[in-house]
Amino acid sequence: MDSKSKKYEIIEFLGEGQFATVYKAKDLVTNNIVAVKKIKVGTVEDAKDGVNRTALREIKLLIELDHENIIALFDVFGHLSNISLVYDFMDTDLEVIIKDSSIVFTQSHIKAYTIMTLKGLEYLHMNWILHRDLKPNNLLVNKKGILKIADFGLAKRFGTPDRLHTHRVVTRFYRAPELLFGARAYGPAVDIWAVGCIVAELLLRVPFLPGESDLDQLTKIFTTLGSPNEETWPGVAKLSDYVVFKKFPAIPLREIFTAAPNELLDVIGGMLNVNPLMRPTCSEALQMPYFSNRPPPSLGSQLPIPSCIRESNPEDQDAKGQKRKFTDYSEGGNYNFD
Amino acid sequence: MLPGRGVGCLPDNPLGLSWHDSNWIPMLNSNNILDYFSERSNPFYDRSCNNEAIKMQRLSMDQLSNMIGLEYCLLHVQEPILYVVRKQHRHSPTHSTPIADFYIVAGIVYQAPDLLSIINSHMMSSAYHLETAFEELNSLARFHPSKGYSWENRRPGQPTGPVTAPPPSPVKVTGKRDIEEASSQFQRLRVDMLLVELTRKFPLPLPQALQAAPQNNINNQQTNEVSKKEMKQEIKQEMIQDINIKQESQPTNSLSPPMRPPPEKKFKPA
Repeated sequence: MDSKSKKYEIIEFLGEGQFATVYKAKDLVTNNIVAVKKIKVGTVEDAKDGVNRTALREIKLLIELDHENIIALFDVFGHLSNISLVYDFMDTDLEVIIKDSSIVFTQSHIKAYTIMTLKGLEYLHMNWILHRDLKPNNLLVNKKGILKIADFGLAKRFGTPDRLHTHRVVTRFYRAPELLFGARAYGPAVDIWAVGCIVAELLLRVPFLPGESDLDQLTKIFTTLGSPNEETWPGVAKLSDYVVFKKFPAIPLREIFTAAPNELLDVIGGMLNVNPLMRPTCSEALQMPYFSNRPPPSLGSQLPIPSCIRESNPEDQDAKGQKRKFTDYSEGGNYNFD
Repeated sequence: MLPGRGVGCLPDNPLGLSWHDSNWIPMLNSNNILDYFSERSNPFYDRSCNNEAIKMQRLSMDQLSNMIGLEYCLLHVQEPILYVVRKQHRHSPTHSTPIADFYIVAGIVYQAPDLLSIINSHMMSSAYHLETAFEELNSLARFHPSKGYSWENRRPGQPTGPVTAPPPSPVKVTGKRDIEEASSQFQRLRVDMLLVELTRKFPLPLPQALQAAPQNNINNQQTNEVSKKEMKQEIKQEMIQDINIKQESQPTNSLSPPMRPPPEKKFKPA
């Protein structure tokens, strides 16, 4: 095992999260640039449980997955009491791109990002995996403009009817209403909701539904998209944390996304249907006219690169402070496990 | 067809359209005029333009010049009454192709007509008036086997016949007079200036016959020719002075019919 850690030469520090530190490194055998995620040992209690759970989920699932729009796990090695995971090196993520105000998205850009996200997610769902933490920060993008879904720390297999999941998943802004109502038997529709929120964020450049608490999140959802009732969402009242809301009318999406073509509004409207059973699957969504209509999605090389990456050469790393931040663990108290 | 009217009949022709929002009108200025123009109910505003994409993404309008595609910009301001907005296709930060201009006069938005529509409309109205004049003259020509051709003498102010009631309805005629009264010296000069500038840019080849014409007016047929040429000049004049001429031509027709031979009059052998 020790020999493996010598296979990689650390180039620079990329970021730190609650559970891991990420470095940019060079594979000395193949000369490829990779990202090495070193899982933290954590507290004594954590250590007693053995291998860190997020790392375990990620290893367990990613090792079997192979898709252009899913982050690839190349290698896992242990060094002393640490575990390190070796991934594709990705230059940036969608959150950085969205927040870069020097970039203006065209319809082609938005279509390209949406298609890549949906293709990756379609592959996950076909393999009976729920991601459960989709957000711009977890959609990594490299210089070639390829988007890859990353961070499988919350991902889980689904499909066994009697197996319940926790509803304490997904960063709050992207959390579907059934999760907020405490559903424990949910499905791929929670990921679709998150994609809907991400597409909306691509259009608006700010989070679409920025709730300050779980209740506020529900309020934001229903004041924008209309409150559900037994007709629009049969069975909603039976969910464990169901709260009755005042009747809000839906704001027409056309008024929110003023420059979006109608076909895109159909896509968003479908994905952000408050009733999870009415949301399209990834495959259904990809069949919608928006994705085959003009304009065509941008090719990878035409996609925007954030200014901090554009300006910094591999030798000149002054802009790394603006790079990916591993803030995902702080938002919404979402890391409780079954 | 009167200038600027007939085109409005086509539902897909925007030249007959106007739009305004009376809530905005009192507070329009050069800073908010593009916001006013981008109101969703404005039929002239295409919301797939770059302006709207930037606005939706909450970015700075400075980005506009870096984008490619459809955009609107403020072309001309004459506060507080006139604003001209241009719709253009941007190819690069320094290169763009104009697509259409819109003028906002006292808060009401119109699309500026293209040159073809203007010329078409003026030609149509000239031809229309010319035709009416000919019809009128025709109705006054009389033929008697012993006397030959003669003009019918009609008392001035006689209300009967097609002379005083030509095909255009009285409403239109009065409407036209209103327009004329409203047009100022400045407007007329401005139109003249534009047309002079235009003729300088695209000079008309002068027909040779026109220069030789005034010398021979002995022969009847030649007089006939001359009268035709006068008409031609009239068209030209009408095009230049626009509305002014239209009224002039009417009294000439009704007051002095015997001055000109009917167009179809033939040479009488002595």
